[in-house]
Formats: sequence, structure tokens, C-alpha cells
Amino acid sequence: MKMKYSTFSQADNNQMGEPMFFGQPVNVARYDQQKYPIFEKLIEKQLSFFWRPEEVDVSQDRIDFRNLPDHEKHIFLGNLKYQTLLDSIQGRSPNVAFLPLVSIPELETWIETWSFSETIHSRSYTHIIRNIVNDPAVVFDDIVRNRHIIERASDISTYYDELIQYANLYNQFGEGTHQLNGETITIDLFELKKKLYLCMMSVNVLEAIRFYVSFACSFAFAERRLMEGNAKIIRLIARDEALHLTGTQHIINIMQEGDDDPQMAEVARACHEQSIEIFRHAAEQEKQWAEYLFKDGSMIGLNYSILSQYVEYITNLRMSAVGLEPIFPGANQNPIPWINAWLVSDNVQVAPQEVEVSSYLVGQIDSEVSLEDLGEFEL
Amino acid sequence: MQVITRDTLFELAEGETLLEGLERTGHHVEYQCRSGYCGACRIKLKVGSVVYPKPPLAFVKRDEILPCCCLVTEPIVINVPLKSKL
Repeated sequence: MKMKYSTFSQADNNQMGEPMFFGQPVNVARYDQQKYPIFEKLIEKQLSFFWRPEEVDVSQDRIDFRNLPDHEKHIFLGNLKYQTLLDSIQGRSPNVAFLPLVSIPELETWIETWSFSETIHSRSYTHIIRNIVNDPAVVFDDIVRNRHIIERASDISTYYDELIQYANLYNQFGEGTHQLNGETITIDLFELKKKLYLCMMSVNVLEAIRFYVSFACSFAFAERRLMEGNAKIIRLIARDEALHLTGTQHIINIMQEGDDDPQMAEVARACHEQSIEIFRHAAEQEKQWAEYLFKDGSMIGLNYSILSQYVEYITNLRMSAVGLEPIFPGANQNPIPWINAWLVSDNVQVAPQEVEVSSYLVGQIDSEVSLEDLGEFEL
Repeated sequence: MQVITRDTLFELAEGETLLEGLERTGHHVEYQCRSGYCGACRIKLKVGSVVYPKPPLAFVKRDEILPCCCLVTEPIVINVPLKSKL
């Protein structure tokens, strides 16, 4: 019988001996000892990246947007809707799906830190949308009404939803065959681990491919010196996403190696074909999305064909990072090399303490003291 | 330090990272963060070894290195093509 989930398990355990998932639920949130120090390092890095959307001035974008031709307005808004969808999912799902399963504190906190940073992204989309349209509802409402977006949404959320549902049953009833509402269901840990592994793979695809397709569109505008406030925000988001991607790549590779949980390595092998299919399907879907985005016309520097080539190129790259053979032979060259200059984070400087943002300083003590301030002092 | 790639060989210049050296000599190499946390620039190391002044955050397999943040302290052989030979 497995250990039931508890928010504070009172069983004394050695956290250093627990696997990443499905061990004893984490009790003491301690970081003095870490089985996988990488997750603590990711947390530190993510915290050092902290930013707020309000720090970025997007007022010029309003003027730029008004002057865009209709088909480019469609591209910009479509892209933004898609980004909003992705972060709506990512702002909650890692917490809901993974936290009840995790059994080491540094990974638990990484998941929370990761998901929190996605909520900042969501808030930044509202910041952008509020600025460019008079009625933000027009944009937001379409996310659940637009067939092209909904298709993507269900693909991404299905893996999370299945994992969450199955994990709930496992937690409630444990392994075995059960009669529930007149239905016979069989719950076993191996199957649950498969759902976790595939979900992690699908999250990896979301972060590694889906987001990057949307980044390409955002930066294509900025390449023409349009919507630059938006691009500034997207750069910050891209910097965070690169870190999240590193996080899921670590989790997946630790699972595959099997030192952490030998059964997980078996699960990874059993899911090999399905993992490849997740990548293939997502790549096809992203190409269809590109077709929809450019349906009324392309934009300078980016069109359906170029974006599709980029999808293939980046899919190959991301697959090999998680031990899968690339599926698009010949797609070994980046068709939009200019995107890297936007993705590089060397020159992203937004730590509030570095740029002196007025909103950040409100309520704080001004520590600047000039000589005149001391003029009336006598000793 | 000498770097042998799939198609050619070159000397790393003083103070230059391996990534910068590869870019200067016309190699095809990906990059994003240029500071070791994204892993976009990971390449296969065939012969030799490198060191990291600060351990990178990105995941790197045993036979891979991150040219953006590693230090080349001995001649190495890596599997990176020239852009012109792709």
C-alpha cells in the first residue's frame, strides 16, 4: 500500500533517499541537504530573474498596433492569445499535477517557483493587451471560442488532466481493481508513472517548441522596430522559459537514467514511441497554427514556410536534448538566425534594484545622502 | 588552444570563449543564454576534456559540452560543422 498524500507527513524519513516522485510526500521544507542540488540552483536563478510587467513601458506599442495592416493585427493578436493560453495552463498545472506526487523538497520548491513565474507571464499579457485594445475582453474571450486555439489547448491539457485524475484515484484507492460508479477500473503504479513521464514530455514540448514558435512571431515585429515594448516583455519571458526548459530536461533525463527510480527508466523505455509521437504531433500542430496565423498574408521576415522550417529545426534540437532521435532529416539549419540575438539574455537588465524603477522604490527608504543634507549638523 | 571540428581546425584566441571562437570561424552553432543555463549551444565532444569555472545549470550528457561557458585547457575534437558545409 502506498503512502497517502499528506501536507505534512509525520513519518520520519531520509529525504536524501527518496525518489523525485512517488516516495513519501515531502514533510520538512529543508534545503541544507539536497539529493539534486540542480533544482536549488534553478530556484536561485529564477529568483534572480524576477521582474514585473509594469516595469516595461509599452505605450509606443499602442501607436504601432493602430498602424499595422489588418492581417498583421491578426498575427499579433493570434500570437498573443496563444501565449496567454500556454501560460494560463502553465501557471497552475505543474502545481496541481506534480506537487502531490513529488517527494524531495528542492524539486517541490522548484515546481512552485517555476509555476509562479508563469503567472507573471500571464499578468504581463494582460498588461500588453490592455494597452493595445480598448476592450481586452475581445482578445481574452476568443481564447476559448477560437477553434484553432482550442485544439492546441486540449492537446496540452489532456496529459495534465489524465495524470491528475489517475493520481487522484491512486491516492484515494491505491493499486488494484476497483468498482467505481458501476465501472471497473484498474489502478497501478507503473501506469501512473507512465502518465507522469508522458506529461513531463508534453510540458517539455510546450516549453521547448510551442513557446518558441510564438517568440519568433513576437520578435519578427520587433525586427522591424514595431511592438518593441511587447518584444521586451517577451525577452524576459523567453529567459524564464529557457530555465524552465532546463528544469524539465533535467527531470526527464534523471528519470531515463533510472538511478533515482529504476522503474522510471523502464517507464521511459516503454514510452519511447509515444514520446516521439508527442513531438511529431506538436510539430504538425504548430505548422497548422502558422498556416492560420498567416492566412490573410505574411509579414516581412516571417511566413508560413519559414516558420514551419523553424518548427522542424527546433523540434530536432529539442528531441536530441531528451535522448530522442530527431524526426526531420535535413532540418539542421536555423532559418531565422536573427531570433538568437533576441533570445540572448546578456543584455536583459531589469532587476528592479539595478534600473531604479519608481514603483519598486515606493515605500522604501531612499538611501542617497548628499553632503548638503548634513549641512546643519554640528558636533 | 587548438580546436578540431568536423570540417576544419582553428586556434582559440586569447580571452575568447569556445562559442565565440566557433562563431568567428564560421561554424554552425546554436545559442541562447550564453551563460550556461539554457543548454541551446550544447555540442558533442569527441576527444579531450574541458573545465567549467562555474558548473552550468543546463543539462549536459557525458559526451557533451557547453561552448558558451567551458574553458578549453587542452586540444579538443568536437563534432561541429561549418555553416558552409551544411
